[in-house]
Amino acid sequence: MDFDFSNDQEQLRDAVRKWVDKGYSFERRRATVAQGGFSRDAWNELAELGLCGLYVSDDHGGMGMGPTEAMVAMEELGRGIVLEPLAQALIAGGIVSGYAPADVQAQWLPKIASGEALVVLAYQERQARYRLDICEAKAAPAGSEWSVSATKSIVPAGDMADAWLVPAMLDGKLALFLVERSADGAASRGYGTQDGSRAAEVVLDQAAATLVTRDGLAALEHAVDIGIAATCAEAVGVMDKTLAVTVEYMNQRKQFGVAIASFQALRHRVSDMKMQLELARSMGYYASLKLNAPADERRSALARAKYQLGCSMRFVGQQSVQLHGGIGVTDEYIGSHYFKKLTQLEMTFGDTLHHLGEVSARMQDTAGVFA
Amino acid sequence: MDLAFTPEEQQFREEVRAWVKDNLPAATAHKVHNALRLSRDDLQGWAKILGKKGWLGFGWPKEFGGPGWTAVQKHLFEEECALAGAPRIVPFGPVMVAPVIMAFGNAEQQKRFLPGIASGEVWWSQGYSEPGSGSDLASVKTRAERQGDKYIVNGQKTWTTLGQHGDWMFNLVRTSTEGKPQTGISFLLLDMKSPGVTVRPIKLLDGEYEVNEVFFDNVEVPAENLIGEENKGWTYAKHLLSHERTNIADVNRSKRELERLKRIARNEGLWDDPRFRDEIAKLEVDVVALEMLVLRVLSAEKSGKNSLDIAGLLKIRGSEIQQRYGELMMLAAGPFSLPFIEEAMEAGWQGNFPGGVVAHAPLASTYFNLRKTTIYGGSNEVQRNIVAQTVLG
Repeated sequence: MDFDFSNDQEQLRDAVRKWVDKGYSFERRRATVAQGGFSRDAWNELAELGLCGLYVSDDHGGMGMGPTEAMVAMEELGRGIVLEPLAQALIAGGIVSGYAPADVQAQWLPKIASGEALVVLAYQERQARYRLDICEAKAAPAGSEWSVSATKSIVPAGDMADAWLVPAMLDGKLALFLVERSADGAASRGYGTQDGSRAAEVVLDQAAATLVTRDGLAALEHAVDIGIAATCAEAVGVMDKTLAVTVEYMNQRKQFGVAIASFQALRHRVSDMKMQLELARSMGYYASLKLNAPADERRSALARAKYQLGCSMRFVGQQSVQLHGGIGVTDEYIGSHYFKKLTQLEMTFGDTLHHLGEVSARMQDTAGVFA
Repeated sequence: MDLAFTPEEQQFREEVRAWVKDNLPAATAHKVHNALRLSRDDLQGWAKILGKKGWLGFGWPKEFGGPGWTAVQKHLFEEECALAGAPRIVPFGPVMVAPVIMAFGNAEQQKRFLPGIASGEVWWSQGYSEPGSGSDLASVKTRAERQGDKYIVNGQKTWTTLGQHGDWMFNLVRTSTEGKPQTGISFLLLDMKSPGVTVRPIKLLDGEYEVNEVFFDNVEVPAENLIGEENKGWTYAKHLLSHERTNIADVNRSKRELERLKRIARNEGLWDDPRFRDEIAKLEVDVVALEMLVLRVLSAEKSGKNSLDIAGLLKIRGSEIQQRYGELMMLAAGPFSLPFIEEAMEAGWQGNFPGGVVAHAPLASTYFNLRKTTIYGGSNEVQRNIVAQTVLG
């Protein structure tokens, strides 16, 4: 039982933080939002830091690191409310490494790690909401390969991606495919999302596809759990920064002749924000440390974590806006962008009520970190 | 980063578990698991069993006859005791006053008082709060006037937990009115059988007698019972309050009570009621998150690398969780938690409880009793002030 970070992990944190502080200013971010919400240059910089290949083995040109390193990196990106969806590279690296045949790994992993290929998970469908076992997309044999027909929504950077990981029904069972954006029958329509990042509707009409695994539900659940752990860590970074700017503002903003940080009603809210942040950080650790556990244990733990993080994100975000007063609801001030990021992260990979349902359904007679 | 305990820690846990299984009286565990009334003998009996093993002072260093356990070992010990249904160790002697005597008492005081605390023979009470001094503890007014080789103590303490059983009492008393309120306080040990001491139990909202008023009328206390220096008591009191930081979260007990809540919900047919079940699920996440928070603090203590200033959070969250499980247990029984039949809270009661389930008898009382948790030990509002101070300056 040890929650200290190793020196290597601290170095990774420093490197990512340095990039965020020096290379990812609020102005750059704003320009990226204006240009659609995704910057390939920024993506390549993340790849140069080694982050796109964090879950890719050395053999395939990656860093071969684990969930704790991913957590450290995501937390730092959260602090900079980075738009580019590194969680997707973690999912792609982790799932292709863990489930795809050797030739598919050899073909895609080096490109994922180098940033050459942006591969994102395209799984959400209108009818399924956050459920993973409901899927209308269909796959069929097409010569020696496969074809997939699907409509997938809110795919992160979906119209910028080079390929999508697409769950689809094959012989009555969920399977996972990789579909290239350049494939015949593949179309995507991009748009901005509330936090300033980019997403797309992806429509596939018998598009040529590569089979990643016939064990599609297990792979999809695992993919989403990688995403949840990454999202939790990212959210901790965003909340940490949100609290910091709120504290800074309260100490300089004066009303009735004194800093508003002196008012007890407001101080108690800050205390409650700190509580939610530390509970969230604790459960963020829990999520990452359970990511390699057996599937049942992992699913249960990740649902618990996302529930806590969802509660925390909503609370910290809303309180921050309130404590800022009018400036908190302006677009000009950075605080509102943290709030929107937190709001979007709450609804990413399953919202709070969804995960409460998951926790509830999985409840056992005993409970605790070790059960 | 690693969630698992080390093999040595795991082995330690197994040893404690086996020992507790063999030594905790079944009748006591039954009462704890069902929230039935615990007698003085139940509490002191368990204390003496632990004392004999050398574990009552489980937080003590070896030089004072303690086991010299690490923070993690202490946590595991408390967890195993809690899950097995051991009563809480009454903290005033072994957990609260003993560390003060070790740190600030003289050799004679250590020799005189520590053995009785370690064995569980001597029951200690806490004399901190007064009618006019709750959260604002530094405002204590109980006077101790030096006359030759003794102090004459006059005044009143209150909320003295289980003081009706007390043999000795540690007190914050005012020895000076000069300067800031904090600077005129002394730390005095007092024999509760001294002439002039009156203990009056206070009946609480659950019908139980858990706390007392203690009156001092010209009580003579030998000056040798003063800990450390006169007027330095506030420093010692703060030392006491900073001790055993994770202990206050009481997460181990909450884990046990969460299991009990689940049993009750099953028996009431609420396990499959989505509204009720979701409330349990929320509490389950709360307990896991609190446990992670506690483990983080323990890890920080173990490595000494990162000091975490989140002790205030532990108290706030821990107490809120205790109140919530108490509330949900009562709500689970619904109207059958309402009959107030005091005898039914005694183990072995053979009467007919309305509705036929005697386990319902203590649920409302527990709910009422647990309202204290957000008030004592520094109210949660005071804790929020402390947390805000660390965040906002």
